Formats: sequence, structure tokens, C-alpha cells
Amino acid sequence: MADPPTGHDTALDPDIPNVSFHDGAVSSHVHAAGCNAQASTPAELPLRQSLRKSQSVYEPRIHDITEKFTKASNALDVGQLVKDEYFTLFESIGAIEIMDSKMDSGFLKPGETLEDDYDTLTPVLPEELIGILDQLLCYEMAWHTGYPLSQTLFTSVYIDKLLWPETKALEQAQFYRGMVDDDRRPAPLLQVLRAYCLALIKGCDFVIAKITGRDYFEEEDFCTHTYNRVLFVSLPMDVFLRELDAAMEAMEDTDLQMNDALRTAIISRLDFRKGFLRALDLDLPIEQIAYSWPLALKNLHQLKASHQLGQAVPGAFSTKMQRRLASTVPPRPVVELDFKDALDKLQQLGADCEEATRFVTLPQDPLEYQSFLWYFASRLPPPLAYARSYLATLLFHADVLQSSVSLPLADIKSLVFPSSPVLHPMNWTFSPPRNPMLPKPPRLQMAILIDDFVDRTGQPYMDLWVALGQNRCRLRRMLTHVIIAWDMLQADASLVDTEIQAAAVEAGVADQVMEFSISTWTYHKKLWMIEKILLLGFEQDVFLPDEYAGMYLFLSLIATRRKELLQRVEQHHLMRSSQLLTARRLREAQEIEDAGPDLDSLLAEAEGTASLSLALARLYIILLYLGLLPIPKRPFSSEALRYELRMKPFLALQPPEVPPFEDFKAHTQPYGAYDSPLPALTEDLRKKDSELWTEIDASIKAAKDSFAEVKRLGARAAKAEGVEKAWSKEVQGKLASCVALGVAVAGVKDAVGRKEESVSVREGLGVKVEVPESGMGKRYAEVWVVVKVLKT
Amino acid sequence: MASSVKTGHRGWFPWVKKNAKMSNAEATFWLSQFLGKNLRVHASDGRIFGGQMKCTDKDRNIILALAHEYRAPSAEVIRKAVEESGNPSAPVPWNSRYVGLVVVPGQHITKIEFEESTLPNQKSSVTL
Repeated sequence: MADPPTGHDTALDPDIPNVSFHDGAVSSHVHAAGCNAQASTPAELPLRQSLRKSQSVYEPRIHDITEKFTKASNALDVGQLVKDEYFTLFESIGAIEIMDSKMDSGFLKPGETLEDDYDTLTPVLPEELIGILDQLLCYEMAWHTGYPLSQTLFTSVYIDKLLWPETKALEQAQFYRGMVDDDRRPAPLLQVLRAYCLALIKGCDFVIAKITGRDYFEEEDFCTHTYNRVLFVSLPMDVFLRELDAAMEAMEDTDLQMNDALRTAIISRLDFRKGFLRALDLDLPIEQIAYSWPLALKNLHQLKASHQLGQAVPGAFSTKMQRRLASTVPPRPVVELDFKDALDKLQQLGADCEEATRFVTLPQDPLEYQSFLWYFASRLPPPLAYARSYLATLLFHADVLQSSVSLPLADIKSLVFPSSPVLHPMNWTFSPPRNPMLPKPPRLQMAILIDDFVDRTGQPYMDLWVALGQNRCRLRRMLTHVIIAWDMLQADASLVDTEIQAAAVEAGVADQVMEFSISTWTYHKKLWMIEKILLLGFEQDVFLPDEYAGMYLFLSLIATRRKELLQRVEQHHLMRSSQLLTARRLREAQEIEDAGPDLDSLLAEAEGTASLSLALARLYIILLYLGLLPIPKRPFSSEALRYELRMKPFLALQPPEVPPFEDFKAHTQPYGAYDSPLPALTEDLRKKDSELWTEIDASIKAAKDSFAEVKRLGARAAKAEGVEKAWSKEVQGKLASCVALGVAVAGVKDAVGRKEESVSVREGLGVKVEVPESGMGKRYAEVWVVVKVLKT
Repeated sequence: MASSVKTGHRGWFPWVKKNAKMSNAEATFWLSQFLGKNLRVHASDGRIFGGQMKCTDKDRNIILALAHEYRAPSAEVIRKAVEESGNPSAPVPWNSRYVGLVVVPGQHITKIEFEESTLPNQKSSVTL
């Protein structure tokens, strides 16, 4: 909508009345067609098309109502509005205030012109060309980080010329339109610039197509708005590569007089653009993607080194472009990104995409996929929207999803049905009885139940994966919705479980099937997600230091539940294994044996999480009693309300996960209110071997042992083989957190012990605690907030 | 001139005083007629905004919906057009662009025009 239709030249249209506006015409008069043919200023007011259509039928009459309008509005009361009844105050907030320089993009300062008169056909120097190319790259990367095109690339006068007015053929996309005198034809360097811009625009088209093809959030992640410009959507990539090749040839031409350093610098930029465009290509075969990124980024160092040869051309970019692009919004500043930062972003984008290409080589296991997604989202700095869409495109690629065995089923099988008669392939070979009134054979029933359940799982499973493909903040928020779907799935699963059990009894294999196996799997997955929501809350500093105690306690509760669930599964595995061994079915027994380390790793991880969070919760409770944590003033909230707020995402879950507030309060404040504790507290704090301290130490030790066990079992057992490096770094971080926690606990214990008997424990401890910030590399693991105890 | 006819016409009814103050009810009624109608509002910097009137108030602030901004071509452009065509009264188009929902503050309004779009023999629904 931003641009008036071209060819809207009223001068050529005899049907349009000539209307002129002269100042000082106060008396009311009626303009009619042709009534002022001899107007002093030969200017025309182009009428909107909607009016033009019926032009021959009627002539609009213009009445000057200034005087009466002024009189009438004077007669209104202060605050009285004469308004359309459907027009709301809310809408009016969105109106742009004319003549306000901050809002009105059409407002001109004295002496300012509406548009730039930068001539895109003036020859440029090689230095200037490098300057323009590098500036374009800066804007491109700024766009990738989330700014709209109108504040970045589309401020380029050159790009504007290529894109507007729209052309049908690439040959017409020039820095001029129509015919141009031979002596004005663009010089070779301008041709090079044109080729680069064209490839850049096509690259943007690929980026937008990739991102819009997946789940993304406009404005928050990325701006896909192209302001009515068509980014050569219909043209295939090879024509752009040809343009680049031709440009490179032109650069290598020795007739072109130029310093060699400049020549190389320009060629390396064209070469980079070519590689980058290829990597962005949507149709690149999946076998080639792994090579495309290293190829695209191979000469970034050359760009970096030759950047100083360039000379900026500020006139080639203009904020004034926004007047035509985004005319309905206030003007916004152009986004400036340093060339060095832009290259860093580019490097990061390439590295993230390259990492994403490893996805296709992963072992075909849904849990491996899940780990990969999780660790990809944890990369620092966080992957850009394009890189996330890139991975999601691979994840939902037909070759990945159309594996021989359904992914949710593979997931279920590995946890609750290893070598189980429920999933025996034979079950799928029965045919139903001809007479529909007759009962189906029990094994067939099991097959049908499983098939139906797997179908039912599809959507919640997909939702989980989609959530895992988002940025970390959104991941946390989306997971709170995903668990609701899984909660419903769990309710369905328990129904399926009873039917499977009935069928198993009928088939005489009831002793080989774990009770509530499918709901166990669903519940386990749900608990895992709740843990992740809480952990992400710590990572993103959602909780304040004085809430840590309660939230870690809740986390410990959830992890303990998951641990107990896994213990049940383990018992079943052991039982199944001994059954099979006695029946001398060794191959199947081996299958269960093989699943052993995976389960052990899960168990150890749940145990570690439960213990570490419990130890942290206990330390934070002590710190609260000692008054060592900052407590903000909250005049309008109560503990109960805050608790409800924090637990909101989990309140609807069945079985209920959230303990009642009274329970919670009793556990987080075992010695009464923090500011007036029971005397027993002082006593327990002073005694080094009181339960208060020994329990913490025991928890820390249990956590350390568990994480050491996870580490020993390795990435393969944790189903994180594809991301072994990131995985082991995380385990290492957890171990280090345990150690740091031990140190912090000892620090507090010493400080309390050193105090005289007579003084209260709260005053003059001689220590202070420091809460490490998130995202600054100050925590051993971002999700485990371990305070530092410092002497004052 | 249309205006003189009108003034003369008013003279027939002595109770309609030319500069009489309007009552609040009259003013509200008269202004409400223009809601949803096309107005052309001239701003103090020479631009003209054409759009549907949505709202106005005592300070004569006017909110226009679906508005377009029209701007006279600069002297430079006119000079060029005249040079190129050799015709001193060569027509030069105004620049226009869509601006959507705008509010023109009362103090910046120099002229308000009502764009009446009725068929020639249709009776106007607006009392001017």
C-alpha cells in the first residue's frame, strides 16, 4: 500500500478534473471540472483510484468548510468528541500525528527535501564499491538479527532502484528504468554492484521462504515484511549465479585499471556472495548441505582483512526510503551494525547451520533427535531465527520423518516395551474375524490399541519438537502449553493401558507386561518437560534469589517423582530379563540387557537432579534465615499469591504435581518465618553435625555420585551421541556445580560457627553471598544457580 | 460566484445570523454529518490529507482514516518539467502516498474541504 500506483499521472487522463489549491481562498466555493483551467500553479491532485472508476457518472464537488468547521468545533465542550460510533479510543492511539517529527514520516525540516537525489548511475570508485558492499552485508546481518528490511537493506538506494518499479525480467532490473543514453550506461563497477545486489536480494528471498515455511514469530524473531517489493521470487537461482560469474569475469578483465589489492577484495566479496547464495538455496539436495556452509564461509577472513580498503558512501543509503516503504508507521532509525559484528553474526549463522546439517547423520532414534534439538537451542550465542528454521526444516524433512518405524513408537518401546509381547511383530499379522460380532484375537487387539495410541501421540509429540526448535525463552513458555496436551494424552493412555492389560490377560502374557506401561511413558515425558520448564526458569532469571529455595524444592519433588517412576520401570526390566533367561530366550534377554545402560543413565540423571536441587533448596533456606539474600519489597503481594503465580502452569495437571501452599510453606520455612525464626534454628546452625548440615552434605554427595555415574555411562547411554561435546560439557558443569555448592555450604557453616554464642546469628556474620548472573559465563551450569560466599 | 449567492440567500432569513455562535447541539449535529465522509485537510506545511473523517474535538484535531498524503512537487521538479517539455504550463503530478490513520492537530490545519460524492441529481445528505 505504501506506493501510489505507477502511471498514476493525472495529466494524461482527461477525465480527472484539474484542481488547484490556492491559499487565501476562504469563501466557500465549489470546484467543478475545468473551472480553473488557468490556475497559477500547474499542479494536479491525483485522485484515488476508487473514485476514478465512476468518474464519468458523477463529479465530486469540493466545498470549503473551514470557517464553519472551526466555529462548530469551538462550540464543542472541552473533552467532547464527535466521533464515529465504531471508532474506539484504542484505535485512535494508533493514529500518526501529522507535523510531529517523531511520528510523521512526511514532515520535512526546513530545507529538507522529500527524496534524495543520489544518482545511481554515477560511476563509483573501487574503494567506494567495497564500502557499499560491506555496508550492505552489515545491513543484511542486522536484518537477520530481527530488524525490518525498511531499517536495514531497503535503505539502500541501489536496491530500491532494482526492485522498484517492479520488473518482470531480470534484464530490466537495472539502476535505471527504460532507456538510457549510451554515455550514461552503468560502468563495469556498477555492473558488479548490480550482480552483488541481485544475489543479495535473492538470498533474502530464500531466507524468508525458509523461515516462513516453519514456525516463527513475526517481529519477535524475524521480520519477513518486504513492503510490497517482490524479491525475485519466481526467478531461479542459476540466473543470479550467472550474473555473479559475469561480474567476476569483468573484474578479472585486465582492461579494467585497478590496484590488485582492490581487485582481489572485490572478487572475494563476489565469491563469498556466490557461496552464501548457494548455501541458502532451498532446493539444495540434502547430501550436499553439509559442504555448503564451510564453502560459503571459507573466505570471511579475506573480507575482514580487506574491509579497511573500502570507503563508505553514506549517500547510497537513506532513511528517506522509509517514506515510501513504511508510510503508515512513524519513521524509525536505520540500524547500524559494525562490520566486525556483522562478520561475527555471519560466522555464527554459518556455524549454527553447519551444526544443524549434522542432524541428518544422527542415528535414527527419537531421543537422539530430542537431545540434538535441546543442545542446539542451548548454543551460545543463541542461534538466529534462520538457523533454527534451517534445523527445523531438516527435522521435518520427509526423509527424516518417514522412517520405517514410527518415532513416538520407538520412543515408547525403548522405555517400557523392550522385548515385550505387546509390540511383537506377530501381533500385526492377525486378521480380524470375518464376523464383526466375534471378539478380535487379543494379540490383534494389542496391535490396534498401540496403533491408535501412536496416532494419538503424533500431535503432542510434534508440539514438543516444534517447541524445542524455538528460542530458549519461547521454549519455556511453549513447554508450559505442551505439558497440558501431554496431560490429556496421559489420561487417554491410562484408558489404553487397562485395555492392553485386559488383552494381555486374555493372551496369557499378563505377567510379561508392565502395568500402566504407556501411561508411565507419557508421565515420564511430562515430568521431564516440567523439569525443563523449571530449569529454564533459573537459566533465564525468571525467579528472584529469594524464590530459589522454593523453586529448587519443587524441582526436587518433580525429579524425585520421575526417579520413582524410573525405578518401577527398572524393576520391570529386571523381572522381564530373568523371565526371558529362565525361558532361555537369550536374544530377547540381550535386548533388555542392551537397554540397561540407557535406563541407568536416565535414573542417575533423575537422581542427580533431585539431589542437587534439594541441596540447593536447603542452602537457600538457610541463607534466607540468615538474611543473606536480597528480599525485594512487595507491598501488594502475599506469599500465597506468589506461590500460585509460579505454580500456575502446573496447577491443572493430573495427577496433581503442585503441593498445597501450607505444605510448601512448612517445607520452605521449617523454623517459622524468616525474620523471626524459632530458637531451635540457632542451635542447629551452630552444631556442625546437626541434621540441617548433614542432610545438605549427603544430598551434595548423592548428586555428585549420580552425575559421575551419568558421565561414566557416557553420551551413548544418555542418547546424546550426536551432541557428545555439548553433552559432556553439561555433565561437567553439573559436577562443578556440586563442588561449588559444597564450597558455598562450607563457607556459610564456618561463618556461623565462628560467631560468639551470645550474639544472634543474623548479625555480623562477616560474609556476603553473590548470586552469579545468567548468560555471562559466571555459572558452571546456567540452570544451576550456586551462590558464591565471600568474606566481607 | 456561488459564495455570493449563498450570502444573499442567507439575508432572506434575518434570524440566521452570519457569525452567530453555534450551540453545542447544533455544532455536534453539524460535525457528525461528516463522520465517515471524505475530507481534504490542508496542513500548514502545504500538504493535503484526504481521508475519511473519524473523529474531531474542540481543538479541531481531526482523525482521518484510510488517508493519503498529497504533496506539491518541489520547485526543482517543476522547473525540470517545464524545461523538458518547453511548455510553461506543463502539468506536473503531485506526490501522493498512503498514510493510513492520521490525526491532524488543529493548530496545523489551514483549510478543511468536504469532498461531496453524490450523483448530480441526487440530493445532498449534508447541510453545509
